[in-house]
Amino acid sequence: MNRMFLKDMSYRKARVILTTIGITVLIALILMLGGIMNGMRIQAQQYPKFTGADIWISAEGSGSAFIGFSLLVPEHLAYLDGAQPLKPQSVSPLVFAHARPVIRGKLGKAVVVGYKSGKLGGPTQFELTEGRLVTASEYEGWAEADIPPREVVVDEKMNLEIGERILIGNKDLKVVGKARSLMFVLDTPLLFMDLRTAQEVLLKNSLHVNMMIAQAADGYTPEKAAKELENFDEQLKTIDVRTLKQTLGDIIATYVDEPMKAVQFLRVMLWIAAGLIVGMITYVTTLEKTQEIGVLKAIGASNLYISGLIIKQVVLMSVVGVICGLILSYIFAAAAPIFVSIHPIESGIVALISFVVCCAGGYLAARKAIGVDPMVAFRGEV
Amino acid sequence: MGMVVEGKGLTKHFGEGDARVVAVDQVDIAIEESELVMFMGDSGCGKTTLISLLGCILTPSEGDVWIDGEQIDYESRDLSQLRSEKIGFVFQLFNLIPYLTALENVMVAMNIAGQKGDEAEKRATELLTQVGLAERLDHRPAQLSGGEKQRVSFARALANQPKIIFADEPTANLDSRQSANLMNLVSELRQEHQTTIAIVTHHEGLKKDADRVIQMKDGQIVSV
Repeated sequence: MNRMFLKDMSYRKARVILTTIGITVLIALILMLGGIMNGMRIQAQQYPKFTGADIWISAEGSGSAFIGFSLLVPEHLAYLDGAQPLKPQSVSPLVFAHARPVIRGKLGKAVVVGYKSGKLGGPTQFELTEGRLVTASEYEGWAEADIPPREVVVDEKMNLEIGERILIGNKDLKVVGKARSLMFVLDTPLLFMDLRTAQEVLLKNSLHVNMMIAQAADGYTPEKAAKELENFDEQLKTIDVRTLKQTLGDIIATYVDEPMKAVQFLRVMLWIAAGLIVGMITYVTTLEKTQEIGVLKAIGASNLYISGLIIKQVVLMSVVGVICGLILSYIFAAAAPIFVSIHPIESGIVALISFVVCCAGGYLAARKAIGVDPMVAFRGEV
Repeated sequence: MGMVVEGKGLTKHFGEGDARVVAVDQVDIAIEESELVMFMGDSGCGKTTLISLLGCILTPSEGDVWIDGEQIDYESRDLSQLRSEKIGFVFQLFNLIPYLTALENVMVAMNIAGQKGDEAEKRATELLTQVGLAERLDHRPAQLSGGEKQRVSFARALANQPKIIFADEPTANLDSRQSANLMNLVSELRQEHQTTIAIVTHHEGLKKDADRVIQMKDGQIVSV
C-alpha cells in the first residue's frame, strides 16, 4: 500500500502516459535547441582555431575579421610583414566568404577560404584525407596574364570525388583533395583554394583580401601585439586588430548568440509549457479525485499523506519524462541534418531545472488536494 | 458503561447574513459504549451535519465535543490522526477507492493509522472474511455489488478498532434484501467487536435494530 500512488497512476494510465510523453517531448526539444546552439558555437570556433593564428586583422570599421565588409589591399601585407609585434613571415592574407557553389547541378552552400600556400589559414598535407593540396600561385609577383589554378580542396563530408568539378561564380573548379571535416556554422563546408583563385571567383580578380592573420612575435602576448599594431596604425586608421579570443567572441556573438536569442526565449517558453502541462493535468486530475481525497481525509489521512500521493505521482512522471527526454534528445541529435552537440553537464542542468519546473506545476495540485473538505465524502459535494 | 461520544451545545451554521443557515442548533447528545443509535428525520434536518460534528469532520460554530472522554481542541489537536484511530465512517455512496481491491481498501485505513505489512493484511483479510467477502478480496469496487461494497465499507470502518462508527445512510443505495442482510451484519459486528455504532437513516424499518432512535427536526433533537 506504500505504492498506492502507483495504483492510482495505473488506473489513470492514459493520462499519465500522455503527460509523460508531453514532458519527454518538451525536454527533448529544450535540449535539442541547446544542442543546436552548442553545435553552432563549436563550428564557429573550429576554423579560427585551426589556423593557428592569434592575431586577426581586418579593415578599420568592419567590426571584425568575420563580421562586416572588410577589404584589405596588398600593401598591408608588406607593411604588416615587417611589423615588430608579429612573428616574421607569419602574416597570411586570407579570403573568407560565403558562396553558393553548384555541385552536381544543385546549388549548395559553402565558405570559400582563399589562402596563400605554406601560410596560415589553409590545410597542410596532414589535414588531407585524400588527394593533394591546390597548386600555389604567385600572389606578390602576380601578373595580369596569370590564370589562377582552378583547383579546390573540399571537406571530406561533402562526398565529392577527386576529379569532380564544382562551379563557383561561373568558374569551373576541379576537386584535387579532401580535407578533414572542418565545418563552419550550420554545417557549412569549407572550400580551400589558392588565394588568387578565391579572388578570381569571388572578388572579380581584385587583389584585395578580407583579412590577414598572423602570430604574435616572441616576447609578445597576442593582446600586447594587437595593441601595438593598433598604435602604429593610429594615424592612418586603416586596420582593426583583434586577438583570437576577441575574434572568437565576435564570431559567436554574431553568428550564434544574436540569431539564437529567439531560440533562447523559445527554450524558456518550453520550460513554462512543461510546468503548465504537469500542473494543469495533475490539477484537473485532482479535481476529479475530490471525492476520493475527501474520503481519505475523512478516514484519517493527514495533509502530508494526501499531498504525498500527488507529489509522488508528479515526481515519478517528471523523472520518467526527463529521462526519456534526455534519451530522445540524443536520438534527435543523431538524426538531425545539422551538427548538434548536447553537452552532458548542460543536459544535467536542463534535466534538473525541468524536474523542478514540473514539480512546481504539481505543487498547485497538491495544495488543492490539501484544501479538499472531507465533508465531500458524505454527499459528494459541499 | 462510559460515554464514547458526547456533544454539548453543538451548533453549526453555514454562510453569513441573509444566507446564514443553521444546520444544527444547540444540540446536547451523548452516545454510550456499544450502543447502536439511529438518527432519523427529514432530509435537511441536520442529521449528517450532527454526525460530522461528532465525528470531528466539521468544526462546530459553538459547543464542544468529547471523544472517548477527551475534549476536542480544534486549534491544536491533529484531528486526522484522531479520526484514523478512534472513528470509523461508512458512507451512503460506499466511497471505496476505485483502483484498490477490497483488501487494499481495508488496508489503506490501517496504513493511514500507521499499520503496515503482513499484520495489516492479515487483519484486513479477517475483517473481510467476517463480512462474508473471503472470496472477493482481490475484487475491485466495480466488480462488487452494492451490498458487497457496503460490507467492504464496514470492514474498512472497523479496520483500526475504532471507538465508534458513524454510518451515513448505509442502506440508501441497497435493495430491501441487501438492507436486511447489512443490518444483520451490523448487529453481528457490533456483538463481535463491541463497537458503538451511530447510523443516519430514513428507513423506518431499521428502527427495530436500534438501542435508541434520535429524531431530529430543523437542526434540533425532538425526541429520543
